[in-house]
Amino acid sequence: MNFRKLKRLFASARRETAPAPPADFAADVLRAIRREPPVAAPETLSVFDQLNLWFPRLALAASAVIVLCVAADYGLTAAGVPSLSDGAAQLSAQWLLTPTGL
Amino acid sequence: MSDDAELLERIRNGATDEFAELVRRHQSRVFAILHRYERDAHQVEDLAQEAFVKAWRALGQFDGRAPFAHWLSSITTRVALDHLRKEKRRQNEIGLPELGDDALDWLRRNDEKNELDAHSAAELLELAMRELSPADRVVITLQELEGRSVKEITAATGASGVAVRVRAMRARSKLKRALEKIAKEKL
Repeated sequence: MNFRKLKRLFASARRETAPAPPADFAADVLRAIRREPPVAAPETLSVFDQLNLWFPRLALAASAVIVLCVAADYGLTAAGVPSLSDGAAQLSAQWLLTPTGL
Repeated sequence: MSDDAELLERIRNGATDEFAELVRRHQSRVFAILHRYERDAHQVEDLAQEAFVKAWRALGQFDGRAPFAHWLSSITTRVALDHLRKEKRRQNEIGLPELGDDALDWLRRNDEKNELDAHSAAELLELAMRELSPADRVVITLQELEGRSVKEITAATGASGVAVRVRAMRARSKLKRALEKIAKEKL
């Protein structure tokens, strides 16, 4: 036995025709599936349902942004960079105390 | 929309009886696939019914990106694989099929022009394939008997391309040894 002979064996076997399904096969399958639970039609979601589905992910994303902002503010303050409120106070003092200010 | 797509749409919307038409369209293909793995006609019929029932249950997951026939073929192949695994466990209890004189004669001769008839070839291969693991048998059957490409086999089985190639190579070597062993024992 060599691989070429095996290849010929496959080629011969490939030509075999399968037995035909019995005439009432489709009816038998139908009887079997009638015993199964019905196939649900795909649901169409309303806008609110879709938002509901997305809500947990949006809430998580928003929380992550808040945490990042707080962490960045803390980090910058620790590094000596003036905070936003300090910057705003400086700006308003410059505006108010200059001769041409408000 | 293809014929199958329209039929599936009606079935999903409650026309259960129309599933029989889907069965009639694809039953020959399902039987042909299963016959490669199981020679007993009654068992093939049971397995074919199982494949269609599984397809029915999973209809909600069919997204229509591939043709329905391909999707159904994958389900059928998995049914065949499960069946082979169960049979492998019972292998010692199942009797060996008898080989005809044609098959024995073909094994003995080294004549390149001597071709075996299709039925005898399939019987001989069935005997040799008992030496393979179920997964190896599915791969070599898909490749050599159904003429599928490696890419198609990976889609049908979920195995990687490398695994498919390794299994096919291993299966060929084992089949060659199995046929040599049969020749030695029977002749």
